[in-house]
Amino acid sequence: MHALIQGVILGILTGGVYALMASGQTLIFGIMKVINLAQGAMVILGAYLAYQLFTSFGIDPFLAIPITTVVMFWLGVAVQVVFLRPLRSEDRSELSLLITFAVALLLEGIMSVTWNTTHRSINTSYANGSWTVLGYQITLVRLWAFVLSLGALGLLFLLLNRTKFGRAVRATVQNPDSARLLGVEAQRVSALGFGLGAATAAAAGSVYGLLYPFNSGSHYDLISRLLSIVVLGGIGSVGGAMIAAVIVSTSSAIVASTVSPAWSEMTFFVILILVLLIRPQGLFGTVGRGSI
Amino acid sequence: MKSLVRGPVFFGLLIVLPLFGLQHWVLNMLVFVLMFAVMSSAWNLVGGLAGYPSLGHAAFFGIGAYALGSLFKGQTVSSGYEPFLWLPVVGLIGALIGWPIAVISMRTRADVFAIVTITFLFVVQTLAFNLHGITGGAQGLALPIPPFPAATFEQPYYYVLVLLLSVAMGLTFGAARSKVGLALSAVRADEDKARGIGVPTTGVKVLAFSVSVGLTAMVGGVWAYYQSFIYPQFAVDPLITIAIVLMTFLGGRATLWGPILGAGILETGQQYLAYELGGSQFYLIAYAMIFLLIMLFLPRGILPTLVERLRRRRSSAAPAPAPRMETAA
Amino acid sequence: MSAILTVDGLTKTFGGVRAVDSCTLAVQEGSITGLIGPNGSGKTTVFNIITGYLRADAGAVRFAGRDVTGHDTGRLYRHGLSRTFQQARVFPPLTVLENLVAAGGYSWWQLFRRRITPADRTRAERLLDEFGLAAMADVPAAELSYGQRKLLEFAAVLMSEPRLVLLDEPTAGVNGVMVDTMERHVRARNAAGITFLIVEHDMTFVMRLCDPIVVLDAGRPIFSGPPAEVQSNDLVLDAYLGS
Repeated sequence: MHALIQGVILGILTGGVYALMASGQTLIFGIMKVINLAQGAMVILGAYLAYQLFTSFGIDPFLAIPITTVVMFWLGVAVQVVFLRPLRSEDRSELSLLITFAVALLLEGIMSVTWNTTHRSINTSYANGSWTVLGYQITLVRLWAFVLSLGALGLLFLLLNRTKFGRAVRATVQNPDSARLLGVEAQRVSALGFGLGAATAAAAGSVYGLLYPFNSGSHYDLISRLLSIVVLGGIGSVGGAMIAAVIVSTSSAIVASTVSPAWSEMTFFVILILVLLIRPQGLFGTVGRGSI
Repeated sequence: MKSLVRGPVFFGLLIVLPLFGLQHWVLNMLVFVLMFAVMSSAWNLVGGLAGYPSLGHAAFFGIGAYALGSLFKGQTVSSGYEPFLWLPVVGLIGALIGWPIAVISMRTRADVFAIVTITFLFVVQTLAFNLHGITGGAQGLALPIPPFPAATFEQPYYYVLVLLLSVAMGLTFGAARSKVGLALSAVRADEDKARGIGVPTTGVKVLAFSVSVGLTAMVGGVWAYYQSFIYPQFAVDPLITIAIVLMTFLGGRATLWGPILGAGILETGQQYLAYELGGSQFYLIAYAMIFLLIMLFLPRGILPTLVERLRRRRSSAAPAPAPRMETAA
Repeated sequence: MSAILTVDGLTKTFGGVRAVDSCTLAVQEGSITGLIGPNGSGKTTVFNIITGYLRADAGAVRFAGRDVTGHDTGRLYRHGLSRTFQQARVFPPLTVLENLVAAGGYSWWQLFRRRITPADRTRAERLLDEFGLAAMADVPAAELSYGQRKLLEFAAVLMSEPRLVLLDEPTAGVNGVMVDTMERHVRARNAAGITFLIVEHDMTFVMRLCDPIVVLDAGRPIFSGPPAEVQSNDLVLDAYLGS
């Protein structure tokens, strides 16, 4: 029982981080109808950047976030403008998957050349600290990560609902044609949206680097989990992605603490298959494109 | 017809080539070119003809490699040809694993399919490292050493791969000429419409995928036997996926010869560079960059672009056709 | 005459908007029934539900005596219910002939036969002649004009010898000559026994061709009757002009 509750606590805390990463993914899909297979690689890049800032300049990864998010924002914009925008619309859905996949591998290659393949982690002074509440252990890092994720998601929510840009994004997501008529520049929204998705990846990357050892190849693991989360939540639903993130993380953590850590690696895949078998549109899936 | 001449000539050349006393590194390169030609051709069935880009084919390469390794674990071979005879079983294993994957992931859309395949790749990679009993984990798996004479060591593998290539190309050719190809083209053009007019969309997609991964698994088996010792990071390597996708795109998706052309160009390039550079990180960057450039500047691939150019030149030489009129039937 | 298609209490809500509201209507066999209504009246949604592209929240659809609620499009097609699209969906990379053959319907073992058998060709060519597309038989559909595509799409759905064809705005975006052509083909096929349900905005076309005409407003039918009565009905006028 103890192990179970410990697993749940761990899962919820980790779920917050994955929720942040998944929200960026969902945002990009909502705006551009593109599944960004490079999201995992962007998180890892964010982790590497935070790592570099920490080891070279002693900047705490949480404090590095403002720097890394800005850098990655422009990287995201660049990726959209250079690689995705030139696609003709009829090719877009088919090719965007492959293109973002290629971008992921490109990032992986660059990272492995720049930092080689040794596993890294960001070892701050508080990296191993933990509180014990009612007999359950709560690692400090995870707690801060959770708080940060909530904060970032809150910021994202404010951005989407209170700013002009956010309004434009929501309009584009719901009805691209009307949005265009109302003067919303779809291309600009797409580029900025992609940048925003990359920025969320940067923020998540700082946290990721604190929590897990990583190297350039870690993005496969990450993107697989993110995709399972997105499918469970329902492609296109930000709220769904957040809930799904917590569900997947919690399930993994429960399996890890009650069965074995090796099997927890498979949990997200099992969940993915179950979702596709039982309810392919996910928990809160929006109407699929195609059809009418 | 021209196409009926090209095939036999091509295969005739392939069959005769090793008899010219080529150097080992050339033959080795040809073996790898053939491997990728078969795999690209196989990928083309599902990624080109059906329009469903699978990102997980490398997983089935690995499954085939480990399947053959498992079948021959701890055994010796007498003539050396036994593993080849078991290849169809390896192919069947690949297809049988691929079938449920296809049924689950191909029911909705191509994005979901890509998600499942890339996740599956990662899962298989993890299993390859962790299932020590079957795969030997990170320590690797040994296969029996064949008693082939050193001078002509590559030849049996070479010819088996030529055979597999003829199968792959034969299937592509046959598919295009049959209603399966018509159905796949409809799926690729407008799947919802196709489903709406009664085309058995799920059926043909699943069939294409199963055949495709079965072939890929067989190539994995040949590779495993060729290497005699396989490690999980090379058996289940995402680089293989991007290589075959790139080769198919470069040569021209949904064409018969495109994947072969792409494999010929890229794999010879890679093998040559392997001598000069070495180190797989650069391959990753190189492949990814080339892929992105192809996507941007040559999205149809070489063959279709050439065909289109020729057709345009021919039509500009001919007298202009009569203007199309609305048919007043 | 009996009703070949009945829709009973169909309801569909999107977000907070009730697009279709307890809609009940019937299409008589052998008729050319029109379905009209102002924008937002739910015509397209009803269409999509009947043809299996959308699932209704509530209600039932019966076709040719059997309950087909929730059946998917392919299954309905095989039972004899076909539909065309407003944007004229064809398969652009396939030739005109192949477009027809693809719609022909075939069983599993037929998949492994020739792409276009002589029997396919004969059947398709007969339809092509009827629709005046015979000269374009081996041309990719991508090269057809919009009007020709609409004809092709119409011809293709006839390959399966349907009993009921739903036409989604058949005259949208086509010129006057094509409108007459469409009308001629619909009448010809109707005389041969096919029932039609047509969603349209072009009033002249509908008044000329359809009887009865069902008028939808806010997701439910407000009137059903012959063309002459539709034009003078108060409810209909209110719906279109706003009260």
